[in-house]
Amino acid sequence: MELNKLCELNGAPGDEGAVRNAIMAAASKVCDDVRIDKAGNVIAFKKGVKKSGRKHIILNAHMDEVAFISVGATEDGMIRIQPVGGIDPRVCVSKHVTVGEEKVKGVIGAMAIHLQSAADRQRVLDFDNLYVDIGAQSKDEALGAAPEGTYIYFDSKYEKFGDGCVVSKALDDRVGCYVMLKLLQESTQNDVTYAFVVKEEIGCRGARAAAFNTKADAVLVLEGTTAGDMGNVPEVSQVCRLGKGVAVSFMDNGSIVTRKLYKSVIDIAEKNGCHYQIKEAATGGNDASAYQATADAKATCVLSVPCRYIHGPSSVVKLSDVEDQLTLARHVVNSL
Amino acid sequence: MNIEEFLREAAGKPGVTGMELPAAEFIADAFRPYVDEVHITPLASVVARRKGKGPKVMLSAHLDEIGMMVSKIEEDGCLRMQSVGGVDPRVLPGMRVRVYGKKLLMGVVGATPPHLLSAKDRQSNYNFQDTLFVDLGMPAEKVRKVVSVGDKVCFENRFTELKNGRISMKTADDRACVAIMLKAAELLKDMKCDADVYFVASCQEEIGCIGAWTTGYEVDPDYAVVLDVCHAHTPGASPARTHEITDLVATKGPFIHPFLRKKLDEVAKEQNIKIQKAIATRGTGTDTDRLSIVRGGVPCVLLELPLKYMHTNVETFDMHALTEGARLLAHYLRAIDDTWEEQLWN
Amino acid sequence: MLLETLKTLLSVYGPTGNETQVAEAVKKIVAGKVDNAKVDVMGNLIIEKKGQEGGKKIMFSAHMDHIGMVVTAIEKDGFLRVTNVGGLGTKMTDTRHVVFGNGVHGVAVCQPTKDTPGMAQMFIDIGAEDKEDAEKRVSVGDVCVFANDTVMLGSNRVAAPAMDDRCACALLAELLIQVQNPRNTIVAVFSTQEEVGMRGARPAAYAVNPDIGIGVDVTGWGDTPEVKYPDIKLGKGAGIKFMDRSMISTPWVRDALIAVAEKGKIPYQREVLPYGGTDGAAIQQTRGGIPSCTISIPCRYVHSACEVIDMRDMDSALEIMKGFVNAEL
Repeated sequence: MELNKLCELNGAPGDEGAVRNAIMAAASKVCDDVRIDKAGNVIAFKKGVKKSGRKHIILNAHMDEVAFISVGATEDGMIRIQPVGGIDPRVCVSKHVTVGEEKVKGVIGAMAIHLQSAADRQRVLDFDNLYVDIGAQSKDEALGAAPEGTYIYFDSKYEKFGDGCVVSKALDDRVGCYVMLKLLQESTQNDVTYAFVVKEEIGCRGARAAAFNTKADAVLVLEGTTAGDMGNVPEVSQVCRLGKGVAVSFMDNGSIVTRKLYKSVIDIAEKNGCHYQIKEAATGGNDASAYQATADAKATCVLSVPCRYIHGPSSVVKLSDVEDQLTLARHVVNSL
Repeated sequence: MNIEEFLREAAGKPGVTGMELPAAEFIADAFRPYVDEVHITPLASVVARRKGKGPKVMLSAHLDEIGMMVSKIEEDGCLRMQSVGGVDPRVLPGMRVRVYGKKLLMGVVGATPPHLLSAKDRQSNYNFQDTLFVDLGMPAEKVRKVVSVGDKVCFENRFTELKNGRISMKTADDRACVAIMLKAAELLKDMKCDADVYFVASCQEEIGCIGAWTTGYEVDPDYAVVLDVCHAHTPGASPARTHEITDLVATKGPFIHPFLRKKLDEVAKEQNIKIQKAIATRGTGTDTDRLSIVRGGVPCVLLELPLKYMHTNVETFDMHALTEGARLLAHYLRAIDDTWEEQLWN
Repeated sequence: MLLETLKTLLSVYGPTGNETQVAEAVKKIVAGKVDNAKVDVMGNLIIEKKGQEGGKKIMFSAHMDHIGMVVTAIEKDGFLRVTNVGGLGTKMTDTRHVVFGNGVHGVAVCQPTKDTPGMAQMFIDIGAEDKEDAEKRVSVGDVCVFANDTVMLGSNRVAAPAMDDRCACALLAELLIQVQNPRNTIVAVFSTQEEVGMRGARPAAYAVNPDIGIGVDVTGWGDTPEVKYPDIKLGKGAGIKFMDRSMISTPWVRDALIAVAEKGKIPYQREVLPYGGTDGAAIQQTRGGIPSCTISIPCRYVHSACEVIDMRDMDSALEIMKGFVNAEL
């Protein structure tokens, strides 16, 4: 399944159905066992080809993306919203959205610059002051299209641009889903469980369930992570850079990468001439924390695609980095 | 004439203030079927004349749009921008803009990542000079080959139909009003109208009504009708400064000629068209302000289309108000005759 | 020579509204080299150099006026109270040497205050014993400017007050002297009162009614510590203006200037300025609209007593102007 198709699917935390169905359809054709667990994760298993001494490796990517949820409407028909997952309210003004399963078109509008006071211009509009306008003329009409609890998504096209870059919503973490679906097509030396999990963006909740039910020798979390390499940001603050290969974490806010596994991954990368970079920060968090904190704990390592303007309608990745993530993940599941 | 088609296409023609020629050429062509002569002025206003034996009337709706200009190319290849006209920087992060370099490029507006901002800066909006930039997804050396300082940058162009006949688009300010003129020109084809009508799509409104000022000098009209957008109700805005989106607005005040304004009410009543009232104690913030003092003075009246989210890429208006505006305008022009001159100050 | 002409014009007293001496100095420099010169009611000096048949009429405008301070009252103890004429603040003015039209010298001083000082806190000390003594030399309404102090900084750069905009006056004067039988008619306007809102150039443009308008003025800089914006550097060539607060340059005129520079391999910079305005804007808005642009001289510390320019930028500006008056437009 291609990356553009994956990104254009909507899948907020708790609303991953469309992504799950697409992944199920793609996975069931090519693996030994695929199921949906009670948490809503897609768990696919493929046995390795190695005759003996096979290890069991979990590859993990999350299906969900940051989005909004409707929480009511004003008398004049504006839909009130809150984010599901971390969205900077500053990227929301003047953005196109789709509302609910019907994909009703809307815009997030805000008071015109002419009407703003000097203080208004400085003040960040928070989610209590951001509204979705679908053209509704009354509260009833707005609630008819978006009853409380309706998911609302950035209406964001996937576009290629520049030097092999793409811009889209949901690149975090459809890149990981894309890479895992690619690997699923191949045969690997070791046994691999492919965990496509839900609800990462609201606290790695899906991965906890996946971690509890499966034993493994190693877990590779495939992610998208913040790249701050544009806008004349000082080099030491850039975290990682587009076009410099897949970013390997040594630690982040959620977990310290299991040292032995980290060394093995770096060795494998070096031995195979993989294009990689070390993520130069210990920030952020991801499903690795769930695998370390659940049941008997597992060894984890995180491989991320550098992603600019993450958690917005226009995140940017470089496709070569996605390929580099695939290559390194492939080498790890074959050589560990 | 299909208004939506016109607006959809017009929004794709770059007409950033002071650099309007591509938009002007498109609009000039759109008027040709309905008028006797069309030309573009030295500063890129469009003048479309429907000849008549009666008083000379100039209509003015501006064709320029706010936008940005590349002001610097940083070492890492990102572009810094300067606003042309009043761009609200709040709408830019995450927007996909069009950069008119040696070729047309799509760029993503990025901002300094939050982890590099102080706690205080995270509580305030991004700004042009320090934190916002355009990312072209290319290294600096490639960027420099196709983009130069001074290249124009336009908003993302997405035409979106909302519920209840609402349209959300870039450049509704003020091409929606150009569309009103165009539709009125079409209606007039089948109407008797004595007035010598100059449909002017004026340039450079956004930086001080320079197009109306200079084109008004050239046309030298007896009367003028200015068409522009005003603010529709928006969350957070004082209702005293905004209007219902569903109907047109007509202003009263010292910049508006009382007789012309009275006539507008009469025609609206006769045609059963609803107009909302507004008061401007001084300037109206439209072409009216300068047009009314061109040469020996031009009696002006102002008709406004309510718009939500003005100066953004999602300017939203009601198609019903637009088509009613065209109808009102056509009938107003029809009503103008030689008797107006002596009634002006009665 | 350009540098000599510049130095001559920098030495002349000519605050906003009192530009007569500058006009006289310019006339002397171009005497015998031009077709006709006249001074209009606003004090603009308008000099024409006829072009060839079929050429365009190009109006260049460089302003003669220089920011200054006007005496509003004289204190009992002989100190002068002043207000600014044009964009002058207390920071640039404090403890500066100033001079009046009759040659009286003074020192401008800003008294320390708790709040941000304004012009009300400024006074000028001309060494008077008391009011009576002061009134013998200066009257209310007299205007002083920063005293001329022209110095070379290294081999290319010149620092002086009044660089804004005498450097452009020098360029226009040299253009008139150096160009013979141009393709296009040159109307050089040495304008007045630019610093208070282009009040000279506006009526001059109306009277001249040119085909094309070109302002010639200084612009800002972005090449000193902590100042990296706008993207303009001294010594990298004249600026061809894309926009400032007063004007968006007419694209085809701007591109024609760029074409002259490119063809002649003359260094130039694309100028996008977030502030400021020039006579170009006044011309552009005249009558039915006149296609206009501005040629700029990058200038550090504009509106101070030591405005710094680079003669290499002056050379490139002059070359572009010479090319433009002979270009097919």
